[in-house]
Amino acid sequence: MGPADLFAALPLILAAASSVAVMLVIAFYRNHGLAAFVTLAGLAVSFASIIVAAPYAPRKVTGLLVIDGYALFFMGLIFAGTFAVAMLAHGYLEKKLLAEREEFYILLLLAATGAAVLAASAHFASFFLGLETLSVSLYALVSYTGSEKAVEAGVKYLVLAAVSSAFLLFGMALVYAQLGTMEFSGIAGMALGAYMGDPVFLGALALIAAGVGFKLAVAPFHMWTPDVYEGAPAPVSAFVATVSKGAVFALFLRYFAMVDIHQSRSLVLAVAVISIGSMFIGNLLALLQNNVKRILAYSSIAHLGYLLVAFLAAGALRVTASAYYLVSYFITMIGAFGVVTVLAGKGGGEMEDIEDYRGLAAGRPVIAAVFSAMLFSLAGIPLTAGFIGKFYVMAAGAGSSLWTLLIALAVNSAIGLYYYVRVIVIMYSGREAEAVAGGGGGETALAAGAPEAAVPFGGGLALAGLTLALVWFGVYPPALLYIIQKMIHSLM
Amino acid sequence: MLKLLWLIPALPFAGFLMLSLFGGRMRRPAAAVIGVGSVGLSALVSILVAADFILVAQKNPSLRVYTQTLWTWIKIGAFKPGILLYLDALSLVMTLVVTVVGFFIHLYSAQFMEESEGYSRFFAYMNLFVGSMLVLVLSGNLLLLYLGWEGVGLCSYLLIGFWYREPANGSAAIKAFVVTRVGDTALAIGLFLLFMNIGSLDIQTVMSTAALRWQTGGALPTLAAALLLGGAVGKSAQLPLQTWLPDAMAGPTPVSALIHAATMVTAGVYLIARTHVLFSMAPAVELAVAIIGAATLLISSTSAIVQRDIKRVLAYSTISQIGYMFLALGVGAWSAAIFHLVTHAFFKALLFLGAGVVISGHGGEHDMFRMGGVRKQSPFVFWTFLAGACSLSALPLVTAGFYSKGMILFDVWQSRQAGFWLWAAGLIGAFLTSIYTFRMVFLTFFGEAKIAMTKKPDLRESVPLAVLAFLAIVGGFIGLPHFLRIGSLSLSLPGFLSSVLPPSVQIGGQRETELLLETVASIIALAGIYLAYFFWLAAPEYSREMSESRAGKAIRRFLFSGWGFDWLYGKLFVSPYKRAASANRNDVIDLVYSFMAGVNRFFHYGLSLSQTGKVRLYAAAIALGAAITISIAVLSR
Repeated sequence: MGPADLFAALPLILAAASSVAVMLVIAFYRNHGLAAFVTLAGLAVSFASIIVAAPYAPRKVTGLLVIDGYALFFMGLIFAGTFAVAMLAHGYLEKKLLAEREEFYILLLLAATGAAVLAASAHFASFFLGLETLSVSLYALVSYTGSEKAVEAGVKYLVLAAVSSAFLLFGMALVYAQLGTMEFSGIAGMALGAYMGDPVFLGALALIAAGVGFKLAVAPFHMWTPDVYEGAPAPVSAFVATVSKGAVFALFLRYFAMVDIHQSRSLVLAVAVISIGSMFIGNLLALLQNNVKRILAYSSIAHLGYLLVAFLAAGALRVTASAYYLVSYFITMIGAFGVVTVLAGKGGGEMEDIEDYRGLAAGRPVIAAVFSAMLFSLAGIPLTAGFIGKFYVMAAGAGSSLWTLLIALAVNSAIGLYYYVRVIVIMYSGREAEAVAGGGGGETALAAGAPEAAVPFGGGLALAGLTLALVWFGVYPPALLYIIQKMIHSLM
Repeated sequence: MLKLLWLIPALPFAGFLMLSLFGGRMRRPAAAVIGVGSVGLSALVSILVAADFILVAQKNPSLRVYTQTLWTWIKIGAFKPGILLYLDALSLVMTLVVTVVGFFIHLYSAQFMEESEGYSRFFAYMNLFVGSMLVLVLSGNLLLLYLGWEGVGLCSYLLIGFWYREPANGSAAIKAFVVTRVGDTALAIGLFLLFMNIGSLDIQTVMSTAALRWQTGGALPTLAAALLLGGAVGKSAQLPLQTWLPDAMAGPTPVSALIHAATMVTAGVYLIARTHVLFSMAPAVELAVAIIGAATLLISSTSAIVQRDIKRVLAYSTISQIGYMFLALGVGAWSAAIFHLVTHAFFKALLFLGAGVVISGHGGEHDMFRMGGVRKQSPFVFWTFLAGACSLSALPLVTAGFYSKGMILFDVWQSRQAGFWLWAAGLIGAFLTSIYTFRMVFLTFFGEAKIAMTKKPDLRESVPLAVLAFLAIVGGFIGLPHFLRIGSLSLSLPGFLSSVLPPSVQIGGQRETELLLETVASIIALAGIYLAYFFWLAAPEYSREMSESRAGKAIRRFLFSGWGFDWLYGKLFVSPYKRAASANRNDVIDLVYSFMAGVNRFFHYGLSLSQTGKVRLYAAAIALGAAITISIAVLSR
């Protein structure tokens, strides 16, 4: 392992070092602001180090990791997403009456490191290590506030993740038993042709898909999602919904791009069933749901179903569409949970019930506008990043003639629109219904009285940035497309 | 300088964004500074760009077009709509009109709207409107043009219904929106048709390909041009979709001046001029344009004569003046139409703004018969209004309206198709125009003061009035008739536009005809003014007697209602629709959708049962899911 390897792996090393740094800082001087600052700085430095690592890519670092443009792109996405979550979490934790807030950031950085390892993993060992680093941190994060609900969510997550890990490990063991290697490239080399008809190998891949499906929260492995998202602190829900899923998806896509899934009709069929099932189950469950966090949880299930359409497409658009969709999904989900986060009151009571949002536009027009933008993006309305993401997914699917999947996608977009718009309608109606109907802004905003609690600075800044990105990538996609195509051509 | 082109629409959008995000917390002066300033800056940039454009074009005549591709929105196969700005002589003229006239109307609004609630909301909508209008005229791409087209329609709706507490304003807004939607739909279908047959939405590509591929008078160009015309008559309030404009006067007066006189309603004229290649290839549609214009101008100018509400007079007048523009477009006098568009923007904006001062001075009174004597109370308003009125009635030699209308009449006379009859219609229209215009002037400004004017305009209102009055008088010198022209043709507006719009008629040997026609038109205009003087100032008892007679009453009622179009559409469309809706009280068609919603609800409740919150069941589901996945993977191989 030479210096070039170290430079290539620099983002991972720095992310891991940041968590140690936060731990040391806390050991000597316990201060919430300082811990948050060190975390943000660490993430920013890790993000910046991607530029340092880029010239060394693609490069195999030990047998476990491969640092290529694809890995670096998703690491960047993971660090940026974690950065936004950390900003949101700071204001949220300030309001919480907790004795120890600082350890939150250690766990967050560890989880981000695990996620980054997943994005770069080229071996079952690193895959599993990354996954467990991510998961174990998340168990603690989910129940961090220590409330009964949070602990229940954490334990549920722990038990079910353990179950799914068992499936995953068993699948890996079977692959090893059949092929004698755990390296992706080795598997890919042997999996061509003959093995694709081998029932044990196919069963092993299906088991791996089940394990991964749990992390992605796709049907039928989705049931934990609403319970955990509801019980976890809102910023953690944002993290679980985006960074954790995004990293696992990145790995899944890399793995099945190497072991070409299109060689096996039956695997394609299995994933297609999962995709369609996720869309319908996610959207239908969200339909009349009255808890905003649960709505977002179900929405995230449906969105992963959409994403699997791109996953099943062939050709160059497959990776482009997946990457674009994930970026827009990150922005939108973190933004939506971010709104729930900043609206949390003193002592940490979150606004979960949809009725709490009635008339929000009158009292807090900007927050309501941000939330509406996020919901519109989730619904795929033009001029938001979500529209372009969905457009590319559609285009990728159409390019590969996945008509059944596309019809399901279209039907589900229509179903989904209902519950997204339902939230918006509630925000813009209610107590000041008459005044708001005139246009929302203007004098009515002042008449409705001052907001109950100020939006924390960090959270507000994060939301502003996310909204800007949302509109930016929706109106001006070429910049992001350029980066995607530059970074991930290694996989195409 | 030309590189700054993108700033022209971007500045008003930025203003809109700031006002809509922070307007609620802003003090009124701050909102006014942003609202007026953004359009002012945009006007300034337009002037700079215009100067640069003209200089460049003079040095190098081949550079008469400047395009700026900002980015490509989506790229899938042949469908790659670019965010593309296209600047040529035509869009430059439109940009200048929109930003400069728009700026003065914004300035005026800063005072006019001072006592109204929703001050920042007003400026937010106005800025959004200006931005959308600029997108419409600067777009080099039909898709982007359509975005602007819908944007201005939305703003029109929002601003007509600005004082939403009055239900009548809300229904006027809905009427405007629905009626124009009929045209918008036609336009959208036209765009689909063009894209399907040509495979591009870039305006220049569409035009050149159409010219190459299609035959003049063929079915495709005729259909495409007819669909575009459908969009144009909706937006420009021409027959048969003119009914929304008089009701649109429910909006604040600056809105009427900006949207419903100077800019948005002329978008149809712009659209036809922009796609004139297509229209030239469809002679039948072109003739239809001319006939629609002529019919509209007669119908609406007769209606204007009997109105009592000063703003409705101006509304009907606007419809009839746009009728002139359509008449010109229909005979291929493209640049004459644009010339009249420009002068009309000056004098009609001026008239609306003047009317606004009078109305607010009378405490919101719109009825001209309850006004009077404003000349003495407020001479400044009188003189500026008079300038606009003279320009509208085309008073010879000293007004802008004279030159633009004269050019249209001359070009119509020379056109081959039905030249004489269309010209006669135009001439009668000119006569009627000066009657209703000076009826308005005499009723409002002369006679005895019935109510004391309470409010006086300050600088923010009087500067726009003065500037627009100046433009309404001298604005015509950019398009002098041939017998008065000094210097070469290229110094005039039609000469400037000739790089985009082909000149309409031959010039040689026609000077005498032109002189004769202008003289006839002048006499007609003066006769109209005299008639107005006689009936409404010198001997009002005659007009009263005439309108009190039985026949007079019937005619007046007929004209007052705008030839009964509202009644007709009410009988033809609205009440059958309402009847169908009430017959369908239980919503037969909706049953399908309710059924679908019911199915969804059923599945929602069914699936919700699975969310038990019990970990063991969840774990079992994971195991079951794994089993299913394995069986699909293994068994279907």
